[in-house]
Amino acid sequence: MLEVENLTKFYGDLRAVNDLSFRIEEGEFGTLLGPSGCGKSTTLRTIAGLVDPTEGGIYLRGDDVTGQAPNERNIGLVFQDSATFPHMTVEENIEYGLKMSGFDPDEREKQITKYLDLVQISEYRDHRPTELSGGQERRVSIARALAYEPDILLLDEPLTGLDRVLRQDLRNEIKQIQREVEVTTLYVTHDQEEALSMSDKILVLNNGEKQQEGTPTEIYDDPSNRFVANFVGKSTRLPGTVASHDPPQIDTPIGTVPTDTASLDGFDPGSDVEVFLRPEDLSLADAGDGVLRGSVTNVEYLGTYSEVLIDAGEGIQAVLHTSTSADVDIGDEVALTFDPSNVIVLEA
Amino acid sequence: MIVEGIPVPKFVERRVSSRSLAAFGLGFLTVFYIVPILFLYWNSLNFGGGGLFSNYERAFSNIYLVTLGRSFYFGALTTVVTLALGYVLAYYIAFRSSREKFLLGLVVLPLWIAYVIRYLGIQLLLFPSSPLVQLLGTDFGILFSTKGVIVGLTTVFLPFAILPIYHALKSIDEDLIDASRTLGATQLRTVRSVILPLSLSGVVAGGIIVFILATGSFLAPAMLGGPSDTMIANVIEQSYSQTFDLGLASSLAVIYTTILLVLLMVFNSYVNLGEVLGEL
Repeated sequence: MLEVENLTKFYGDLRAVNDLSFRIEEGEFGTLLGPSGCGKSTTLRTIAGLVDPTEGGIYLRGDDVTGQAPNERNIGLVFQDSATFPHMTVEENIEYGLKMSGFDPDEREKQITKYLDLVQISEYRDHRPTELSGGQERRVSIARALAYEPDILLLDEPLTGLDRVLRQDLRNEIKQIQREVEVTTLYVTHDQEEALSMSDKILVLNNGEKQQEGTPTEIYDDPSNRFVANFVGKSTRLPGTVASHDPPQIDTPIGTVPTDTASLDGFDPGSDVEVFLRPEDLSLADAGDGVLRGSVTNVEYLGTYSEVLIDAGEGIQAVLHTSTSADVDIGDEVALTFDPSNVIVLEA
Repeated sequence: MIVEGIPVPKFVERRVSSRSLAAFGLGFLTVFYIVPILFLYWNSLNFGGGGLFSNYERAFSNIYLVTLGRSFYFGALTTVVTLALGYVLAYYIAFRSSREKFLLGLVVLPLWIAYVIRYLGIQLLLFPSSPLVQLLGTDFGILFSTKGVIVGLTTVFLPFAILPIYHALKSIDEDLIDASRTLGATQLRTVRSVILPLSLSGVVAGGIIVFILATGSFLAPAMLGGPSDTMIANVIEQSYSQTFDLGLASSLAVIYTTILLVLLMVFNSYVNLGEVLGEL
């Protein structure tokens, strides 16, 4: 279990992390998600002991480790560029952490074999990391960070710089390994797809501050502010004002948008809001129906679905995911409908 | 096009090919380096009476062999001391200092001052009349002794050790150092198991430069050493400028150079220089 309490980090005058608190339960897969410069890497490095916090505390399995050097904490860290030791073989790389943690030679041998197997690089045991591909090198660094059974596994954007297919493979494998080893994990990424697909819990950060904490579904379906809604997933965005609660409606530049009562909770009539519609919640309707109308400006075929962009007027661009069999072409006049209960309403 | 952005007249451009540029440098080296060395070999042989290799027979006498041995011993000693000091200094500049450029400037600055002047400074500092010696009541037996030679050589050659080591340390990926710490290694263990092995190329490069320079040193033993600290360069100089014995001087030079090359080759068979220095 990892607890971060009121963590603040200043670099000179620059505040990288601001009063951040969160908790990752034993065996849980947590993710810090945010754009570059949001403080996620600083937070991770503070947990590892590589950066001293300006204020706040770090607790690992209940122990206060705040002032401790990295080698005094029982953590495993996977770096962005693997950071495998080039002057050691794969085996020696993994053995290094085991030696430092006081495993005796027999146990070391056992752990090396087990974790090389787990990450499927047993055949490269005697190779230097420099002879391996990028993906294989990442595997070495994952095995190295896990072999001595740390209290927590920290991963700092470990899939950066790999091609798409490999990223996806490794993503699944990391998740699988994590489940198998049942290690408490904190993953740092700017890639929402990685965060949504791997995590039990996501913390969205911006400007060093926590924007939202929740399960992937909560983050995607029920974003707590405009930053989260914009950062995670695509949307059609409409500025508006709450027209009435009964019926629940919002006035926008392109017309009145129907919504549900729950989404207007906490908003008085007349308050400024922003409406978000997820692309998969929109569907094509006969021209003439619906609030959203306009001409198709782009159709991007993406294999399993197509992404359609529509100029809805007043500077509003609608984005819609539709089945690839749908008959839409650039220039078509279309209308879009949606279920009012899927409308996300956030403070403007 | 030779240099981008600088217009070159057509008639020059046609003449300045990469081949002619190379020929210029190679020509200079041939005239002033290769030819003189060939002359040296020629001069070391005796074409008069008494046998072709009689100069070598004289050179292999005990007194010269002892001096040769001393030169390599002093060279090795200087190398060890310089590398140890240089490593600590380079480590500090590379990892601990917030004023790297300034400190590197200080390291290079003494190279602007002639060796003679720097050795003279050390002499003055350690003379019985110097305030320091007066204050401490002793010069610790440094002046005009082996210690004096090693101190002098070390101060003079320190930059040649610091610079390559610094460069090697700077090219270590800092993530590797962090990785070592998170894997449970103490700072000291990280230096021993990660930083030192990964900066070995700088240590080897600096060591070779210092060893070659120190072994062939002429001024330090002359100015800071005692009568029994003479090195091979002093003997060679004496034999041609004082006794005009060109044959002896040349054969000593050939023997010295050959031993130096053999030592480097032996070293190379243990440490693959091409591989180690290729990392620099």
